[in-house]
Amino acid sequence: MSRRPAIAVLSPHWESASEEGWTTRQVAGALSIGADVHVITPEGEAPSTSVDGVFTLHRLGTPPAPTAATRRRVLIEGIAATRTGPEPSVPPALAALLDDGTVAPWAGAAEVIGSLAPDRVVIAGHDDLGVLAAVDRYDASVPVTLVALGSDPGSVGFPHFRPLFERADSVLTVTETERALVVEHHGHPERVSRIGAPMAANPSALSEPNTWVGRTEYVLVLTGVAEDADLEQNELARLVRMRFPDRPVSVAHTDAFCAWHHGQVTRGWPIERTSDRDRLMAWARVTVDLDPGPLFARRCVTSLLYGTPIVVPAASRAREHAARGRGGLWFGDAAELVWGIEALLDPTTRAAASRQGLAYAEEEYGSTDRFIERVTRASGLTPAEPSAAVVA
Amino acid sequence: MEQSAFDPEEVLQQLKDEHRLMPWEPLPPDPMRRIADGGQARNRAALEYLHHHWALPDHVDPATVGGGVKGKVLGLFGRLTFRVLGPYLREERDLLSHLVRVNEGLERRCDELTLRCEQLNQDMVDRQAAEAENQTKLALWLSLEPTAAGRAGTNGRAGTGDAASAP
Repeated sequence: MSRRPAIAVLSPHWESASEEGWTTRQVAGALSIGADVHVITPEGEAPSTSVDGVFTLHRLGTPPAPTAATRRRVLIEGIAATRTGPEPSVPPALAALLDDGTVAPWAGAAEVIGSLAPDRVVIAGHDDLGVLAAVDRYDASVPVTLVALGSDPGSVGFPHFRPLFERADSVLTVTETERALVVEHHGHPERVSRIGAPMAANPSALSEPNTWVGRTEYVLVLTGVAEDADLEQNELARLVRMRFPDRPVSVAHTDAFCAWHHGQVTRGWPIERTSDRDRLMAWARVTVDLDPGPLFARRCVTSLLYGTPIVVPAASRAREHAARGRGGLWFGDAAELVWGIEALLDPTTRAAASRQGLAYAEEEYGSTDRFIERVTRASGLTPAEPSAAVVA
Repeated sequence: MEQSAFDPEEVLQQLKDEHRLMPWEPLPPDPMRRIADGGQARNRAALEYLHHHWALPDHVDPATVGGGVKGKVLGLFGRLTFRVLGPYLREERDLLSHLVRVNEGLERRCDELTLRCEQLNQDMVDRQAAEAENQTKLALWLSLEPTAAGRAGTNGRAGTGDAASAP
């Protein structure tokens, strides 16, 4: 009987609240179909090993300082802003500062990896050279899969992190935008695969409208910020409800849910359960997501899976769903936001966008089986098909 | 049945083209039409006449009947007539005085209503002006610079108010 391959997944965090964390868990879950998956993370107060569902979780107990990631992000933005050539150059002093606080937490990882003797290592995140150092200390030839998690486009092309892309024999990206970005900066399109994500519409959300709004002909606006925050998202939400006074406009803030109609507002508790948000999306005419997720705009995909067209900022990952999926529109300014909503409220236009968006979301994100197949094939667990190597 | 396709790029371009052809601008407020006589419905001359003539004669004026036997007979007949008709004439005087007071009250009320209508009209115009000003700000925020005509308040109609500069 052949031994199941062992895979070590190295992730700076092990959670599912963020899109990055959720994607890491889904990739690990897909790999666990054909391999024993060991998750190694520097989190925890002390070194420990435990079972987390189908995974064996190894906590190193050396979490990185909370300021390290912020410092790195600021440095990347600063260096990118002051670049003079086509690509930002990183002075040695700043390079050391970039890695400060990210290498040490992985110091004990090599030993854990050595004890597991994995057939493949999966690195979650492309901006942590400390992980790569730990892997190479174990074995500089062990196959590496990199889950790019390029929420920040600036960091994907940052030359300091190139060793990670060069070391990986396969790079996984969730979206086509991210895949194109990786190929543009690091080449090797044959190594880079778009995997999408395993998502599904909850059928029960379509059984009954959410009573928070009372009607089904409403526009749903997701601001992603607090109601009294002095931010552009709230300005845009105000514009939408003023522009469509005769139509119910539901505005979801982080701390309140406001249903506007004819200038009157019914204020309620914020959306706390995903099922509530899904039900609101399922019965809305249009979902306006003013703060889509940074990695692949998960909420927008959910909306498309319910057949509800989306209107999203042009400078966001959600634009890909509207453009490639042809399931919505994007806006560069406030006028385009209003025009986009007006266009999608037209029944004929909405029906076409709904149909196309749903087909796209189901094809790209709506099948767990297809996701598993893409991940396992890109990671070498199942043989690759020549035609499907680049774009899954 | 063939279903129509939705091309976001095409739709966005179409929307931009449409709005370039039809630039939006706020409506100017309607002009306030003032009443020609200064807003007062009261007709002072008619009211003065009523006040001076509501008290009709209730006795015979000896100067009007003249002298002599004929005058005495007429005076006697007149006093007799007024004495017989006295209760009726007093009632009629009370009625007339009441009518004059009612008329005075009605006219006062009419004036109040006229002033109230004018105030409402002014409030509506002020509100229109405020809305137009707000929409002008919105237009600027939407990067739709109002045209020169819009700033002059014409909006394709005869210029009567200045939406953009209204208080």
